[in-house]
Amino acid sequence: MTQPALPIRTLAEVVSLSAEGASNYRLTLRVDGWPGFEPGQFAMISPGPQGAVPRSDPLLPRPMAVYRERRENGAAEIEILFKRHGRGTALLTGCEPGDRVALVGPLGRGFALPSGRALLVAGGTGIASVYELAARLHARTRGSARVLLGARSAADLMGASDFSALGVPLEIATEDGSLGTRGLVTELLEAALARDAEAHVFACGPTRMMQRCAEIAEARGATCSASLENPMACGFGVCLGCAAPLREGGFALVCRDGPVFDARAVAWEGLP
Amino acid sequence: MSADADVDLRVELAGIPLRNPVLTASGTFGYGTEFAPFLDLRRIGGFVAKSLTLEPRRGNPPPRIAEAPSGMLNAISLENVGVDAFVREKLPALPDGVVVIASIFETEIDRYAEVAKRLSGVGRVAGLELNASCPHVKSGGIEFGQNPAVLASLVRAVRRATTSPLLVKLSPNVTDIREMARVCEGEGADGLSLINSVQALEVDVERRRPVLSNILGGLSGPAIRPIALRMVWQARSAVKLPICGMGGIASAEDAIKFLLCGATAVQVGTQNYLEPAAAGAVVDGIRAYCARHGVRRVGELVGALETKRP
Repeated sequence: MTQPALPIRTLAEVVSLSAEGASNYRLTLRVDGWPGFEPGQFAMISPGPQGAVPRSDPLLPRPMAVYRERRENGAAEIEILFKRHGRGTALLTGCEPGDRVALVGPLGRGFALPSGRALLVAGGTGIASVYELAARLHARTRGSARVLLGARSAADLMGASDFSALGVPLEIATEDGSLGTRGLVTELLEAALARDAEAHVFACGPTRMMQRCAEIAEARGATCSASLENPMACGFGVCLGCAAPLREGGFALVCRDGPVFDARAVAWEGLP
Repeated sequence: MSADADVDLRVELAGIPLRNPVLTASGTFGYGTEFAPFLDLRRIGGFVAKSLTLEPRRGNPPPRIAEAPSGMLNAISLENVGVDAFVREKLPALPDGVVVIASIFETEIDRYAEVAKRLSGVGRVAGLELNASCPHVKSGGIEFGQNPAVLASLVRAVRRATTSPLLVKLSPNVTDIREMARVCEGEGADGLSLINSVQALEVDVERRRPVLSNILGGLSGPAIRPIALRMVWQARSAVKLPICGMGGIASAEDAIKFLLCGATAVQVGTQNYLEPAAAGAVVDGIRAYCARHGVRRVGELVGALETKRP
């Protein structure tokens, strides 16, 4: 893998903000000096627009996956897909075009692209972490990546139309059956691995979902990379808040050593 | 040239000459190199590195942090690479001209002294900050900073172990900060750093559990700034030692408040997480303030708080 670009800290300009479904939002930011990103990398985004006086409450930026980027004439726009969840993300939904949000990124080590076939399993906001991976794998070898997306309901599912537009093989599971198969995305993974145990599994979503993906992959002898979503204050390895316990003992930092880990290296039961 | 250029920002803190009074706080600035993409470390007065123990140390299990109004709680438990790896690997990675203060922490007095000894004579280390106040390590930390007799023994032992400039970082979790400041002065400390984080608890009502795995953590950020200002002001009245003030500094205005209350220098802490170039902006803002107020030397601001009724 190439060395990731050095992160920048900037005030990004809000280009647009749109609601998608029940509580999902698409934030498009113009980022001067954006160095590009690797699939699975993230950015720290301030909880709401920055006014003349810096906001102190809520204080901490939120780690959010970089969904995709668009470059034109040296300017870069990036998209962030997020769910309104707490006070910070609620404030972000108040962004207007022209507002500024503080951004530090790109951060972390993203997904290493596999040589063979891949199964991308994502649930909730984890979907935002795998779009670029799906796009790059599909661009390299059409049909080599199958995408499995899960959500509580159709209204909670983020980004599905973008994956459809890519043309990747796509399966959807919703817990209430309002779209795709009724059930959990991990059930789709079991079925998919039963058909193709050679595929490398990429998982991103709620901790217990990823833990289940890791178990399913291990039972089938498949390899699995998981992108963790621990809370963090800085995103670049100094607050030490995002520690993830390892099977071999000790901790890794999700921001610096991850967010993508070999699922077998993670002591899943030790994650909150 | 603007008047800004004429402002003399140099200060001397506990015998350490600094190009300006803005440092960054231990535990919020890693080993310095993490900030290289964001900030030229030579723009700031210096930085206090992550607290060092004799051996490498693993921290607490997650969750280690929690957000609180205008602040955050942490209970990392002083995870660090250990003093020897710091000297061997971390210090040489820093550019020349960066002022480094090493923070030391241990669970026993003789081990504290040993860490101090290993850092003495290390060319790149300008001074030591004795962390007598970590509020979340059960076997150490809080006892050292909270009991005057224990604090005295600790400062005495570390003072004997090193001739380096020695700052003692005090706990705010005490009844009277003046008493602790006098103890440090009496035992030969060269300066005080205050305050460390404020012992705190945050609760998850859905799960009816503490948010942090350690139950208790240290509150930092703007929420504690007025408490820190009060303690700097009180300590200033009790001792002649220079004070490095910290607690929720997010801007130059915040930093100037500490100078006025009697701090010779300041440390930017939690703000580094959300704004990794924050300390550089604080330097620029102090310079602009001085120019605007006709202050030629930043030292003129130290202790200049007017408290007499008009």
